Amino acid sequence: MLTVGIDVGSISAKAAVIQDGELLGGKVILTGYNARNAGKNVYDKLLADHNIDPAMVDRVVATGYGRKSVEFADKAITEITCHAAGAHFQDPSVRSVIDIGGQDSKAISLDSAGRVNDFAMNDKCAAGTGRFLEVMARALEVDLDVFGEMSLKADAPAAISSLCTVFAESEVISLLARGEKRENIIAGIHESIGSRVLAMAKRVGVAEPVMMTGGVAKNIGVVKALESRAGVVIEVSPNAQINGAIGAALLAANGP
Amino acid sequence: MDSLNRFKAVAADPAGYAQQWKKEKGGKVVGTFCSYAPEEVILASGALGYRIFGTDLNISRADAHMQAYSCSLVRGALEEVLAGQLDFLDGVVFPHTCDSIQRLSDIWRMNIKNGFHLDLVGPVKLNTDSAREYMTAVMDKFRQELETSLGHKISAADIESAVAVGNRIRNSMQRVYAARMEKPGILKGADLHAMVKAAMVMDRTEFAVLAEDVARHLEEMQIEDAFTGKRLVLSGGLCNMPDVYGTLEDSGGAIVADDLCTGHRFFEGNIEQEADMMAAIANRYVNRNVCPAKHAGIKNRGENLVRTAKACEADRVIFIYLKFCDPHGFDYPYLKQMLADENIPCLLYEMEERDTAEGQFRTRCEAFLEMI
Repeated sequence: MLTVGIDVGSISAKAAVIQDGELLGGKVILTGYNARNAGKNVYDKLLADHNIDPAMVDRVVATGYGRKSVEFADKAITEITCHAAGAHFQDPSVRSVIDIGGQDSKAISLDSAGRVNDFAMNDKCAAGTGRFLEVMARALEVDLDVFGEMSLKADAPAAISSLCTVFAESEVISLLARGEKRENIIAGIHESIGSRVLAMAKRVGVAEPVMMTGGVAKNIGVVKALESRAGVVIEVSPNAQINGAIGAALLAANGP
Repeated sequence: MDSLNRFKAVAADPAGYAQQWKKEKGGKVVGTFCSYAPEEVILASGALGYRIFGTDLNISRADAHMQAYSCSLVRGALEEVLAGQLDFLDGVVFPHTCDSIQRLSDIWRMNIKNGFHLDLVGPVKLNTDSAREYMTAVMDKFRQELETSLGHKISAADIESAVAVGNRIRNSMQRVYAARMEKPGILKGADLHAMVKAAMVMDRTEFAVLAEDVARHLEEMQIEDAFTGKRLVLSGGLCNMPDVYGTLEDSGGAIVADDLCTGHRFFEGNIEQEADMMAAIANRYVNRNVCPAKHAGIKNRGENLVRTAKACEADRVIFIYLKFCDPHGFDYPYLKQMLADENIPCLLYEMEERDTAEGQFRTRCEAFLEMI
């Protein structure tokens, strides 16, 4: 059985292909303004990368905020259910998933079969999301990819509001004006996200082992900030960014 | 169903309806907040009770008087009145429930000059004997104040016939709720919402006749396929967002019960015939399920919610709160725990009246109903 999961997020579109319970590979592209095209493009590119004839694909499940726009999918399943399934696939012992994406952050508690027990999701606000990091990267003129490493060189993380992206950005600009080291500011930004996301995760409870998924899991600074605040070790999914797509592909194989 | 269409038309433009009613009947319109406003007393006075909801306007005027972290109901109502959209009201009654409504009353009094202004300060702790006496005295006082404001006496016969109309409405609504519980999906959530909203703004005698028609129609209606989706209980305060129901239904659920202020609590419990009818009216307000701004025992609301969920064989409970509603917010942790103790999963969604953040709500509903 060959199945594909497509996760159309606010910033990037991801796809993963699974054959008989084995991950063959994944693909990530920018979503852009047209979610409908992004779903089709990432699917085509994934299949091309792996020399898979579309006729070979048994089922497709779409997830992410653009899940309903993927017209050729057999089914749409929310990213919450998919992230739980994806994390369970990576490590069946995982009981909590923290997923931080472009515009959403989620905490999911799951059972031994990878099913969702409970979840919490951020409100309509960019604080504690990938977008928050993007705004800060622009203000600091630092490439987002080096954010994580730079923050590990901080000696005293700056205090930054966890409540509002716009206010936090003006705090960052004030800190820069005062001559604060960028490393400390970046570490402060990660602390801010950590505190925001942990507050949400506590609503569902943080049972170990904890896995982090979503694009922001690639940022070691956020992972460390969450670990120290929660007092737990956090496992980063080896396929953090395509974890939702993996889950969708798995559910495509199982579901009706 | 013509009666239902009538309700939908009224719910779509309640202010237009009230103004038309005023023109035709020459009566007075009394604005109310929350379901502790004594329906029967207002009805007995001959006035039209008009429940005030939030607004469709962008809120700008109200922000000069109220912080942005007040709920969208109080900010929206203030916006409406400051924008002149409620000029047809002859008076307003503010039952003292939450702090925000109480403060809204003060701001209203200081800034809105047309129409009379009544506060109804009932007891907070309702599970005591003294609460009954107190509530009866509050009802008596309200009756006198309303008589003075409207310039005519409310007779015992007026009260009795108002109680009869109120009971008739409640009976019909209870029948509608029972039919929905028995045959989920028989009445769309948005349609029931329109009916409930109409009950709060329409001529009550007219409503009573039409509501009986809807109840009978639903009772007679046969369903072809048994409902196989998730049976949901909606819990919270005011829900004036018809789209919410559609999203829940699209996600594979059907609401089989609620404990909303704009819902079951408005229709709960009839008024018995007693020698002292004001005491009889007060009794209903003391006995029914409480709003979280009132108290009837430390776990009373949770016990009621669990009982409701079990009685209607609900699979899930969905809490819909207005953002910044602290009475509901404070109760949520223990309600969630009591449901968890009974293995009833629940979901909390907070929204503002005009802005439901539809995409996020849809994702949460679907994920919640995907849970096995």
